[in-house]
Amino acid sequence: MERFTELVVAAVLLAGLYATMAYGLGIIYGVLRIVNLNHGGVIMAGAYLGWVMHERLGIDPYLSIPIVMVFSFLLGILVYRVLVRHLPRGAAGGVQSLLLLFGVWLVLRNVAYLLFTGNDQTIRTEYSTRSIVAFGLALSVNRVAVFVIAVLMLIALHLFLTRTFTGKAIRAVAQNADSCTLVGVDVERIYALTFAIGTALAGLAGLLGAMLFSFNPSYGSSDLLKSFVIVVLGGLGSVVGTAAASLILALVEVFAILALPAYLTGAVGFVLLVLVLVIRPGGLFGQRVLG
Amino acid sequence: MKLLPHWVSRSALAALVVALAIGAVLPSLFGWSVYTRNQVTETMLFVAAALAWNWMGGYLGQVSFGHSAMFGIGGFISARLLLAVHVPFWSAWIVGGVVAALYALLWGHPTLRLRGPYFSIATIGVGEATRLVMTYWEDLTGGSSGLSLRIVPGLKSELYYWGLALLALVIGASYALRKSTFGLGLLAIKSDVDAAGDVGISPTLMQDVVLLLSGFTVGLTGAFYASYQSYIEPGDMFGFDRSISFVLMAVIGGVGTIIGPALGAVIFVILRQYLIASYPQLYLGIYGVLLIVVILFEPLGMVGLAYRIARRLHLLRPDTEAKLEMKAAVGGAAASPEVREGGGG
Repeated sequence: MERFTELVVAAVLLAGLYATMAYGLGIIYGVLRIVNLNHGGVIMAGAYLGWVMHERLGIDPYLSIPIVMVFSFLLGILVYRVLVRHLPRGAAGGVQSLLLLFGVWLVLRNVAYLLFTGNDQTIRTEYSTRSIVAFGLALSVNRVAVFVIAVLMLIALHLFLTRTFTGKAIRAVAQNADSCTLVGVDVERIYALTFAIGTALAGLAGLLGAMLFSFNPSYGSSDLLKSFVIVVLGGLGSVVGTAAASLILALVEVFAILALPAYLTGAVGFVLLVLVLVIRPGGLFGQRVLG
Repeated sequence: MKLLPHWVSRSALAALVVALAIGAVLPSLFGWSVYTRNQVTETMLFVAAALAWNWMGGYLGQVSFGHSAMFGIGGFISARLLLAVHVPFWSAWIVGGVVAALYALLWGHPTLRLRGPYFSIATIGVGEATRLVMTYWEDLTGGSSGLSLRIVPGLKSELYYWGLALLALVIGASYALRKSTFGLGLLAIKSDVDAAGDVGISPTLMQDVVLLLSGFTVGLTGAFYASYQSYIEPGDMFGFDRSISFVLMAVIGGVGTIIGPALGAVIFVILRQYLIASYPQLYLGIYGVLLIVVILFEPLGMVGLAYRIARRLHLLRPDTEAKLEMKAAVGGAAASPEVREGGGG
C-alpha cells in the first residue's frame, strides 16, 4: 500500500512537468493550427541553456528560469517571423509546417551535437539528492520544486488568458481569426506572441526536465510525443483537460514500470498515443477552444 | 483492340520499356566498376522506397515519419528466413514485404482515420516504439549486434538486375496509382475527405490499400537492402534517420509527383556520398536546412523548380501551364504560389 502511495505521488509530481510542456504545444496548435514539431528541439535547448549557465556561470538552475524563458520566447518570435509566417494557413500549410519545423528541429539538434557532443549531461546541484519528508513519504526536493513551479506557471497562464486583454485576444483568434481582424485585433501579432509563448513553455519544460533527468541532443523527442499524447487526450488548450491528461499519462507510465520490462516502458507513451487517437480522437473532454 | 486500360499512355509505357532496356545494358556498355554498379543498385533501392513513401505522403497527403518500421521489419523477417531455411532470396523478400504490409495495416488502419497532422504524429510514435521493441527483441533482430547473412558469391551483380526490376515495378505502380480511377480517388481524398466520401469514394478502404501497398514495397526494399548489405542491425534499419531519409528524398525531389521522389533519392544518395561523408557531424543539420529551404522557397522541390524555370523561359504552352497550376494546387503537397501569397498574411 505504501508503495502504491509512493507511485501515485511520483506520478502527480511528474504530471506538473508534463502539463507545462503539453500546454506549450497545445496553445500553438489551438491558435495557429500548426503542430510545432520543433517543440522537442526547444525542450532540448532549454535543458542545455540551464546546464551551460549552471556549469559555466554558476547560476542556480532555478534562478535561470527567467533567462531560459526569455531566450526561448525570443527564439519563438524568430522562428515565427523568419519561417512560419511565410507558410499558407489551414490545410494547405499543414504538411508544409510539419516538414519545416521538423527541419528546424534537426538543425537545433545538430547545433547541440556540435557544441556539447552527444554525451549525456546532468544538472547536478548540492540539493539534487536532498529530500523532504511529507505525509510520511520521502520526496525529492527537486521533484517538488519542479511541480510547484509548473503549477504556478499554468495558473499564471490561465489568468493571463482569461483576465487580460491580450489573453482574451489570443482566445478570440483561436476561435475565429477573420472576425478578430474585423474588430481590430492585430492577428499577425497575436500569432507571433502565441508561438513565442508556446516556445517559452517548451524551454521552461526543458529546464525543469533537466533538473530531474539526464539529457543529450536528442532529448525532447520522447517529450514531444508525450506532449502530443496529452494534447490529444486532454483536448486543445484547456488547462483542466491538460492537467488531467498529464496525470493520466504520468500514472500509466509510473505503473507500467511495475508490469513491464524496463526497456518497454519507453514505448508506453506511444502505445497510449495510438490508443487515444483510435478511441477518442477528440480528446477525453471534447474539443475546447483555449480557456 | 484494347489491351491497355484507358489511363495508360502508350508513350509513357514505351519510355519505361526503353529505360529498362537501357538500364539493363548500361553496366556492360560502359564497363562500370563494381563500385559504380553497387552505388546505382543502392540508388535504385532508395528510389523505390521514396516512391513508396510518396504514395502516402504525396498522393494522400498523409506524411509518415515512421516508414523505417516497415523497412526494418521487411529486412529482418527476410534475413531471418534466409538464415533459417534455404529459399531463393526473392521469396524471402516477398515474405518480408508481406509481414511489413500487415504490420503497417495493424497500426495504420486505426490511425489513418485521423485528420490533419495527427496521423504524422502517430507515425513518429509508431517508428520510435517499433525501434525500441526491435532493438531489445534479440531473438528476431540479434539485438544491437545485428544479423549477418551468408555471403553469396556474385550476388551483388545479380542484385543490380533485381533492383532494376523492383524499380520498374514501383514506377509502374506509381503511375497506376496516379493515373487510374483509383488514383483520381486518392486525389479527391487528399483535396477533401468529406467531399470524396460524398461522391462515393471510401476514404478508409482506399487509404488502407495505399498504406498496405506502401508498407509492402518499403518492406521489400528493406529486405533487398538486407541482402545487399549482408549485415543489418536494428539501430540502422529502424532508426529515425531512416524515416527522415524517405521524407527528405520525396521532399527534395517534389512531393506528389513520380519523377520528383526518384530525382530526390538520386540527389540524396549523392549528397550522402560526398557531402555527408566528409562532414559526418553535420548531416542532421544539412537535412534540416534542406527541408527548410525546399519548403520555404519551392514546396514542390526540384520538379517545382523545373516548372518555374520552364515557365520563365516560355517553354510551356499556355494550356500545359494551366494544367500545371491546377496540379500544383491540388496534386502536390503545396499550394500554388498565388494561394501561398494570399494565405500568408
